[in-house]
Parts: sequence; structure tokens; C-alpha cells
Amino acid sequence: MGLDWAWLPQLAHGLKITMELTAACMAMGAALGIVLALLRVYARGPFLPLFWLASAYVQFFRGTPLLVQLMIIHFGLPSVGIRFTPFLSGLIAMGLNTAAYQAEYFRGAIQAVKAGQMLAARSLGMTRVAAIRHVVLPQALRLALPPWSNELIYMLKYSTIVYMIGVMDLMGVARTIAARNFRFLELFSLAAVIYLGIVLLLTFALRWVERRIRVPGLGSAGRG
Amino acid sequence: MTVESWIQVWYALPVLLRGLLVNLELLLGLLALGLVVGMAVALVEVYAPRPVAAAAVAYEWFFRGVPELVLLFLFYFGPDQFGVQISAFTAAVLALGFRSSAYQSQIFRGAIQAIPAGQMLAARSLGMGRLRAIWHVVLPQALRLSLAGWSNEFSSVLKDTTLAYGIGVVEVMRQARYLTARNFRLALPAFIAVAFLFLILTYLGNWTIGLVERRLRIPGLEVRR
Amino acid sequence: MRKRAWLWALVGIVLVGGVALGAEKFVVGCDIAWAPFEWVSPKGAYLGFDLDVMRMIAILEGYEIEIRDTAFDSIIPAVVAGKVDIGASGFTITAERAEVVDFSQAYWTSDQAVVVREGSGLNIVTALSGGAKVGAQRGTTGAGWVEDNLVGKGVNVTLVLYETYPEAVLDLLAGRLDAVVQDEAPSQQAVKEYAGQLVIAGIIKTYEEFGFLVAKGDPKRILPRINEGMAKLKASGAWDNLVAAYFGPSLDKIEAAWEACISILVEERDVVRYAQCLADRATQ
Repeated sequence: MGLDWAWLPQLAHGLKITMELTAACMAMGAALGIVLALLRVYARGPFLPLFWLASAYVQFFRGTPLLVQLMIIHFGLPSVGIRFTPFLSGLIAMGLNTAAYQAEYFRGAIQAVKAGQMLAARSLGMTRVAAIRHVVLPQALRLALPPWSNELIYMLKYSTIVYMIGVMDLMGVARTIAARNFRFLELFSLAAVIYLGIVLLLTFALRWVERRIRVPGLGSAGRG
Repeated sequence: MTVESWIQVWYALPVLLRGLLVNLELLLGLLALGLVVGMAVALVEVYAPRPVAAAAVAYEWFFRGVPELVLLFLFYFGPDQFGVQISAFTAAVLALGFRSSAYQSQIFRGAIQAIPAGQMLAARSLGMGRLRAIWHVVLPQALRLSLAGWSNEFSSVLKDTTLAYGIGVVEVMRQARYLTARNFRLALPAFIAVAFLFLILTYLGNWTIGLVERRLRIPGLEVRR
Repeated sequence: MRKRAWLWALVGIVLVGGVALGAEKFVVGCDIAWAPFEWVSPKGAYLGFDLDVMRMIAILEGYEIEIRDTAFDSIIPAVVAGKVDIGASGFTITAERAEVVDFSQAYWTSDQAVVVREGSGLNIVTALSGGAKVGAQRGTTGAGWVEDNLVGKGVNVTLVLYETYPEAVLDLLAGRLDAVVQDEAPSQQAVKEYAGQLVIAGIIKTYEEFGFLVAKGDPKRILPRINEGMAKLKASGAWDNLVAAYFGPSLDKIEAAWEACISILVEERDVVRYAQCLADRATQ
């Protein structure tokens, strides 16, 4: 029961795919998540349908399994003519999924910024949009970092799912090598160790970032 | 995605529901395992001497850091090396159960630590041993306080049961894939149907837990955040 | 407290009883997405030539089987690891595989077929060269053939591997592939299922033979029973009926026939009558 060093280049390549996938989906999720959160908090009057749309989106993507979402995108859409490569399907599914969760974290953070701030900004003559952009969001994003970090770790772990549609991420590579050489336990133990290591590194890195951008006195009350 | 394909999926609903039943069985098994082990780990972390508590922390860290799928594969293929054959379903219950225990132990620990220390002091001053105090005073309150966090965990693991597909458990995802292999036009309606089944289950589950929480609530006993 | 003790006692009895009464049982590993050798009907039933042969031999030789759906490239590792006792999934007998498993007598001969889209104008040569994208199932001899004889020899093709055969066919239909290489019978079945959309561009003569496989050394002494069972099936005419039922008719007809006849196999355990019933109904 030993390790074959020849496996490492393949595993490294798989790890690269995993990291790319995770990074890309978090970026996509953040962009979409902020938009959804803003809609959920501020959409009113003529924009009310957008509020409902955003809410429905969040409910659906948080209430259904990621694997089902992945299958819908990769195996379901082709029957209506939309076809993605496995990597792209994985990216889209993960991105759409994490956007829903991130929307909730951003929403909580936006709502934690005291209402007085918005009033003050508007009384200075700022438009709503400008106030959101220059006053609320900078603070909200700082507040949202801890749950966002958790979400990043979550997504890194869930990225393993894409091997089922043929993406050769770390999990896909591990499984392929294991099947070829009948060495399942070694390879999955190795994969487990690698994932743990990355999770540990990321956790420390994110905590460091959190400390650096923290604004003293901000967000001590009302944070759930 | 024609009307005809939706009708075919409707007829296939019994098959999908049979698969969903397996998900539910898996859910019950892993939640039970997670509850028992999670509670034990939480108690160890709070009350046991430092070195033992550290082991509990390491345990938590391991089962929270390793991806579910990797855990599933480890539990499925691992025992073979030691000559033990376990079924995919059992492996899934164990893998997901231990993982859930790591998250549940966090919830319980938070709840236990939210109970004022004075309670334990009072119990011991009445002559109760540590274990009796934990069993009769701390736990009943901790369990009630945990319900809110438990609701989150429930939603999370309900969805995670679909991962058992990866090690061959014949649950709802696999049944849906069978339908798709037979007729690819059924893919979109079948998976959307599965998605809605999960939505329904999630709401039902959360509603039930909310009901239980309201019935067991003790006014004045809340987690001060 | 009393009630709980009784409950545990009951559980204990059931467990022990279950173990004691359990008949001899073998696990059959199969990638159940390879019609007409094995597939899943819309009602969730496992049917197919390989699976029915396994069921029939089990009845004739007096043991029970449990059919477990397993990814194709995991079946041999599972057999080696002892998780699965018999591999029955259209396995071609190869020297490479025979190093780690033992094969039964050959039960089927096959070549590889090259399937392309109707109207694409590709023949067997143009479908497998000139930058073509060729799909195959991971772990199959078809994939191996393309790797060894095309990619390995520097021919300009891209080999795309899939976990299951239906996935490869879908990508072919969608235009993401130019050709799919797979054994003859499933290829013919696919062409029939997607009538008018697919066509077989040509046959690669590989003279393959299928066999059922068990772990090396056959520790549970299953192979002799499989071989004996097959001989009995062939002698009684049930084998020919099974072939007539599964190779030719459309999947819908086979499924309807199976549903009508399966009780003969499961309840009455009459192998010959079952095969007769299946052949009669499927070929109607």
C-alpha cells in the first residue's frame, strides 16, 4: 500500500482545475449575489417584480440539491438545444447555486448597516444608488466576509461533484487513477489530505484578510 | 421539453418516489448517527480535560474539512482493505452521519455554552454528580436551544443525500438518470421534478421542526446573541 | 425499560435469523445502461440479455443473486476488491483483464461498430481521422482500440471518454462528436432507437468475445456453475429464445414482453418457459 510519485503531476493538474472552478464560481456568485441581495433589500414600487424574482431564485437554488441543479444544466438543457462543456456546466451550476447563498449573506450584511447611514447620505444630497454604492456597500461587504469565507470553503468541497459529469478535477483524477490501478483507499486518502490542506490554508488566509479589513466598532450589534 | 415528456415523467413518478424513499431512509439514519455522535463530541469538547477535548476538535476539523464525496468513497472502499464488506447504503449513512456529527456538535456546543454556568453550579450544590447534572439539567435545555441550528443542518443534509448517487446507492438521482438513459428527452422534466420534490421536502421538514420548536419552547430560555 | 428490552431482542432475532436463513448469494456488478445487454426500463426494472442470463443460471444452479448497478470502469476493481462477486456487463475477454480476473467461457462474439450521424457523409475512414472527435465509453475495448490504433499511432483524432454509453450517443446526436465507437449490438440498438438520425458507418473487425468474470482464482467457485448453467441454457433452447428476444426487437417491445413474462422466472422459476414466453411476445 504505497504511493506512486507518477500520480502527482496528474493530481496537480486536477487540483488546478478544482481551484479554477472554485475561484470562478465564487466570482460569478459574488457578482450575481450582490445584485440579488440589493434587489431583495431595495426593490420597491415599479421594481417590485424584481424583488419577487430574486426571492424565487434564492428559494429555488437554496432549496434544491446542487447535484440536481448540475444535472438539469448538463443533461436537461441539451434537450432544448443548450449544450455546455462539462467544465462550463459545472461552473454555471456552482455559480448559480452559490449566488443564492451569497445573496443571503450580503442581504444580512446590508441590513446590518444602520438605517441612519442611508438617511444621512441622502440628506447630504446623494441619490439612493450613490448612497448604496459609496456608503452601504463598502461596509456591508466587510461585514459579509466571514460568512463569505465559509461559503468559499463550502464551494471548494462541493466542487468534487463535477467529476460526475466528466470534469477531471482533483476528484475525477483520483477516481480515474484509482480505477485503473485498483488503489482506491490510497488515492482517496491522498485526495482527502490534499483537500484538508487547502481548506486549512484558505481558512488561515481568509482570517488574515478579515482581520486586515475589519473596521473597529462596525457591526457589533445586529450581526446574526 | 414537450408536454408528452412531462406526461411520461408523471407516469414515472412512482419510480422516482421509490428512489426518494431511499434518500429519506438515508437521511434518518445519518441524522440519528450525527445526533448521537455529535452530542457526545460536544460534551467532550465542553466538559472533558484539555487533551481529550483537543481530540474532539481534531475530529470536528477532519469531518468538516474533507469533501463529502471523498468521505463517501473512503467509507465505501476503505473497509475492503480490512476485509469488511459494507454496502453502499451503509457507507453513505456512516460517511454522511459522521460528517453531520461534526456540524451538529458545533450546534450543541453553542447551545450548551449558552446555558448559564450557574445552572451547573446549582445542580452540583444539590449533590448531583457531573454526569447526572449534564443529563438532567444541561441536556434538556441544550436540546431545545439547538433546534434552530438543527433546522439548518436538516436542510443541508437532506440535499446531501443525493451525493450517495456517487457510490451507487439507488436513490432518486439514480432513478432519474435511468429515465434519462432510456429517453434523453425526459432529462429536463425529470430533473426539474426531482428539484421540486426536494423543495417540498425541505419546506415540510422545516415546518415540522418549527412546529416542534414552538411546542417545546420555554419562555425566557433563548440564546442571547 | 421492559419494552425497550423486547425491542432489542426482536432486532437481535431478526438479524441472526436473517443471517442464518440467508441462501447463498452473489453480487453481480453491471453497468446497467447498455441495451440490449442491460438497461433500466421506465418502470425501474433491470432487464437485458446479460442480466436475464445471470438470473436464469442462478435459478438453474441454485443460488441467489443481487444485481448492483456499478460504473463500468469500477466493476473490475470492485471484483478484485471483493465488493462484487460476478462481473456481467458485456466484458470482452482480454489478456490484460485476464491478469486480474478469471473469465467464464465466451458467450458472445462481437466487433466494434462506428456510429455516425445520418447525413454527415462520413465513412469509416473519414469518421476516424482528419481531426474527427471520436467518443467512447471509459474502460471499454472500443476506447482502448481508438487509443492504441489511432491516438497511439499518431492519427489525427480526439478521443472523448464518457462514463456511460448513452451519454456518448447524446453528444453524437448533438453534434459534439463525429463518431462513437462501441460494440456492435448496443450500436445497432442505438441506431434503432434514434431511427433516421444515426447510422453505422462501418465495422472494425476486432473478433471480440464476451465473458462473465470473477476474481482471480475464483475463490467462491462460481465459474464452473456459470459455465454449466450456460451449457444447460443452450441445450434446452432457452438461450436461442433469449437471443431472439433481446437482439432485434425494439426496447419498448422487449420491456412489455419482460413485464408479462417475468413472473414465470421469479415465481415459477421455470427457465425454459420464461425464455419461450419472452421470445414469443417480443418478436410478435
